[in-house]
Amino acid sequence: MGISLMYYLLVSGGLFALGLLGVLIRRNPLLLLLSVELMLNGANVALIGFSRHWNSTDGQVFALVVMVVAAAEVVIGLGLIVAVFRQRIALDVDGMDHLKG
Amino acid sequence: MNIAATPLIILIATAALALVPALVGPVRFRRDAPPALALLGLAAAGVMSVLLWGDRRATFYEAFRVDRLTVLLTLVFVVSGILTVLLSLREPAGVDRRPEYYCLLLCAVAGMTLVAGAADLIGMFLGIEILSVALYVLCALEVWRERSLESGLKYLIVGAVGSALLLYGLTFLFGVTGTTSLADIALRVDARDLGGESLLLGAMVLIIAGLGFKAGAAPFHMWAPDVYEGAPTPITTFMATAVKAAALAAFLRIFGAALIDVIDDWKTPIAVIAALAIVVGNVGGLMQSSFKRLLAYSSIAQAGYLLIGVATGTLDGATAVLFYIIAYTAMTVGAFAVMVIREREVEDGQSIAALAGLGRSNPIVAAVATICLLSLAGFPPLAGFIGKFMLFGAAADADLVWLAVVGAVGSVISLGYYLRPIYAMWAEDSRPEHARSLDPGAPVLFVVLMSGLGVLAMTGGAHWVTEVCRAAAESLIAP
Repeated sequence: MGISLMYYLLVSGGLFALGLLGVLIRRNPLLLLLSVELMLNGANVALIGFSRHWNSTDGQVFALVVMVVAAAEVVIGLGLIVAVFRQRIALDVDGMDHLKG
Repeated sequence: MNIAATPLIILIATAALALVPALVGPVRFRRDAPPALALLGLAAAGVMSVLLWGDRRATFYEAFRVDRLTVLLTLVFVVSGILTVLLSLREPAGVDRRPEYYCLLLCAVAGMTLVAGAADLIGMFLGIEILSVALYVLCALEVWRERSLESGLKYLIVGAVGSALLLYGLTFLFGVTGTTSLADIALRVDARDLGGESLLLGAMVLIIAGLGFKAGAAPFHMWAPDVYEGAPTPITTFMATAVKAAALAAFLRIFGAALIDVIDDWKTPIAVIAALAIVVGNVGGLMQSSFKRLLAYSSIAQAGYLLIGVATGTLDGATAVLFYIIAYTAMTVGAFAVMVIREREVEDGQSIAALAGLGRSNPIVAAVATICLLSLAGFPPLAGFIGKFMLFGAAADADLVWLAVVGAVGSVISLGYYLRPIYAMWAEDSRPEHARSLDPGAPVLFVVLMSGLGVLAMTGGAHWVTEVCRAAAESLIAP
């Protein structure tokens, strides 16, 4: 028998929590993107674990879809960050305060 | 071939097609073809979905279901898309980045349709991501404007966190039920055939938070005013109407149908979020001097009103949500269209001060704006009042009297800021420094008139619209 579901969930929860922590305390948009990726991949690990647990392939298909989505999000994110950099705005989300009422 | 997917296929195909004219043909063709294609595609998708009105059809291996609810919401998305295209015709982003602008807009509408008809967790997540990713880019499409970029990047980061929370929730939902099909999830939940009750609770909390981010409901609303202000105004219109409707569709599909048997577990959290959104939106709106930010706070409060209907979990509640979504779309598009006009006519057109004297210089536009704002505030007998009445009534029937009271008090507070632009339009004199007089263009005036007529038609024909909404709400729980 393989690894029990609990270990999958522990790793997944750890990754997700790490990502969430990163989103909350980091200020650089690149690192924020990185943290969001950690959260998505944490979910992926859980999906694979549940997929094995239920002996169904649905979770694996879901994980593949999530990978594509995550890639699309990173592409857009990096594109935006490059565009911001060209406008010479400091790469610090606290400095983004043009929009405030 | 199964015809259920035709609206979706038309939207995606037109989105791809809208990119082609950029490569070939004379300048005029390159300029006019993408918006024309977008309008055609949206209209065709709308007509096709009307033809699909009727009993449930499923396609994509049961991952996409077309029932009356899907058709009704698709129509809302398509109409909102058409009005956005008309508002965009002379916008800098719409002119400078024509092909990708309309391609992304169509992709977003396709994603929303996928959400509205989702019968499977994978399809729902994919739909939400398609619409979100398209909108991240649309917000930032005026790359020469710092605020537009900032708005896009903020939306991307907050939206991605929301997506991650939603995804983790959906993962747990799959984990406790062992299936991704919403219908099978409903069966397992009904039979209490679950892998862990506490995991289900976690799943619900995460899904509510994730969808709350997408709908812009408090306490997940922080991004909304900034993003709405920085994005090109037609895109803001689209976000405030169609995206909100799509998030509510996801709420209805997951909580109103799949998880309806554990309503006791999610009723209070959703009710609390609704109340918070109403309070935060309406109090925040009082302090704004920018008309655009004012409407952003208004949209937070409106998300709260809509969530009241979700929290009831009843047929009446779902009917009221659908009615209010339609009415809200008409009134919000009207208010934003007036702002698009002022942006073109005067400097600093996004401020409330820019509206001064509009009642004298352009009484028809000012009248439509007044109707739309009063309707948003829930002034009787307008459509917004009817919708709120239905929502509060459903809440009272579902033992949520306190929520109905919060909603009613919130509506009264909201008059405090909805009346300010109205006062500026009719009672203040226009300021000479605002004069710039650029012709706003016929399409925008058309949008203003259509939304004004829409609100009045919803007011007069509320009975028939309610019938349609009820039929759609019934299909939510039909097998």
